[in-house]
Amino acid sequence: MALIELKNVTYKYPLTISPVLQNINLQVNEGEFVAVIGPNGAGKSTLCYTLAGFVPHFFKGELTGGVEVAGMESSKSHLHEWVLNVGLAFQNPFNQISGAKYTVFEELAFGLENIGIPREEMITRVNDAMKLTGISELADRSPYSLSGGQQQRVALTSILVMQPKVLVLDEPTSQMDPIGTREVFSVIRTMAERGMTVIMVEHKVEWIANFADRVLALYEGSVLLDGKPQEVLTSDLLLDKGFGVSRYTSVARQARKMGLWKNDSLPVTLEEAVQGFSLTPSLLRQAQDSASPKGRGE
Amino acid sequence: MHERLSFYIKRDSLLHRLNPLTKMTLVFSLVLIAFLSPYYWTPELILPLVILPLVILAKISKEYGLTTLRLILPTAGVLFIMQALFLPGESQVLFEIWRFDVTQASLESALTNATRIVVMVSSFTIFLLTTHPSEMMSDLTHRGIPPQFAYVVISALQILPQMQAKAQTIISAQRSRGLETEGSYLKRIGVLVPLVGPLVFGSLVEVEERAIAIEARGFTSPHPKTFLRQIPDTKFDRITRTVLIALIMITLGLKIWLSLN
Repeated sequence: MALIELKNVTYKYPLTISPVLQNINLQVNEGEFVAVIGPNGAGKSTLCYTLAGFVPHFFKGELTGGVEVAGMESSKSHLHEWVLNVGLAFQNPFNQISGAKYTVFEELAFGLENIGIPREEMITRVNDAMKLTGISELADRSPYSLSGGQQQRVALTSILVMQPKVLVLDEPTSQMDPIGTREVFSVIRTMAERGMTVIMVEHKVEWIANFADRVLALYEGSVLLDGKPQEVLTSDLLLDKGFGVSRYTSVARQARKMGLWKNDSLPVTLEEAVQGFSLTPSLLRQAQDSASPKGRGE
Repeated sequence: MHERLSFYIKRDSLLHRLNPLTKMTLVFSLVLIAFLSPYYWTPELILPLVILPLVILAKISKEYGLTTLRLILPTAGVLFIMQALFLPGESQVLFEIWRFDVTQASLESALTNATRIVVMVSSFTIFLLTTHPSEMMSDLTHRGIPPQFAYVVISALQILPQMQAKAQTIISAQRSRGLETEGSYLKRIGVLVPLVGPLVFGSLVEVEERAIAIEARGFTSPHPKTFLRQIPDTKFDRITRTVLIALIMITLGLKIWLSLN
């Protein structure tokens, strides 16, 4: 049986007319890394809140359908039990700092103190998690003195230390530079390989293609596509709807119209693009010709 | 950005190592004794014989000195002048300032009251300078106060400087779009009006997100909490607290006994 199971989930925020999520059906297996993409207002964050139990326990409104994680039904559980299974880190790192702690180390221990983890285990867990996300050198800094990207790592680590079965991340790399993004993606990949199930909202499609097992495309509150990253991210269905599309996909799509792209599938990453274009020797020759000086023959 | 968000000065001293509750008891006993003692000379004696040795013991002379100059002396000074001028006294008029009589009685009680204020503010200053806020709150939560209460106190201390920084950002953003923020005092007060909206509503939105964030980390878990910080509570601490409470009782008893006779 799947670890996460959403059946016909429809949700409407209080005082709104149209539902944000409409008939969502989703099954995720243990250890899967699922990326969620979608334009603004597609319901990505609401999906995160629903998985993490904040819908319906924190945000009221109307929720119909079933949300099950590890055999528990969300509407029948307490939020404080639910968060032990499903950890949530969201976009704005600044508001995720508890504000009750003066150093990063204490900040990371905050959740463990709340759920009554013994002190020795707490210290080990915090040290291990900091090593994993590469923030050990920040341990004694004030969480407020960090940069946005560093704060995002602290926010992610503060959830990782709690060792939930499911990790729900809402744009966890939005304020990071490319190096930070790569590190965070590889940490999440590692966690998935260790058996943690990851649901991650993310716009950086090239990274998704490299790291995720599966992509879910949300559009206007419904699931538009659900499948392998390569298939979903290059689908024509994503066009003109505000989805982020990899520039390599766009280039190859254009090239296909001109008969220069011979592969059946379109690329998402640089490697795939290079590999695909190298199958077109005439193109290579053309490129060499146009690069050479014009007046050579005279 | 600020690294330092509390008054706490990290030093190694006997006072720093005391349990926060002991220090709190010390503060309250000094204040209570200074205010309750039936003898006018008690606060005058506490100041050189208790407060100053404590400051030296805690190695915070410089910080305490600055606070005294900036906060304690001006406050106590104003209080002294007001009381000397306005307290009605039966006794002999020493001198007159404009139409106010300064009597010996008013001068004496002004001095006592001003010294009491100095003792009170000094005790709290020493406490704040030598006690880490999260140490205090951990200790109190350990002793059974609700963690929600501890959270409110600590986060308020931390969030104030953040609010200040945010207000500054909003002002800069408004100035860059042509809002005049300089000039007469009246004009500057007017500038506060467009600041309040974004600051207050922005903070309300933040509160919701922060509630989600701490909820996601099990804040409302009914499980008994554990603590990262270990705060020692030695035999010396317990004895000190008992002695201090006994001193408060003696002072109280003395006051009642003297007023009955």
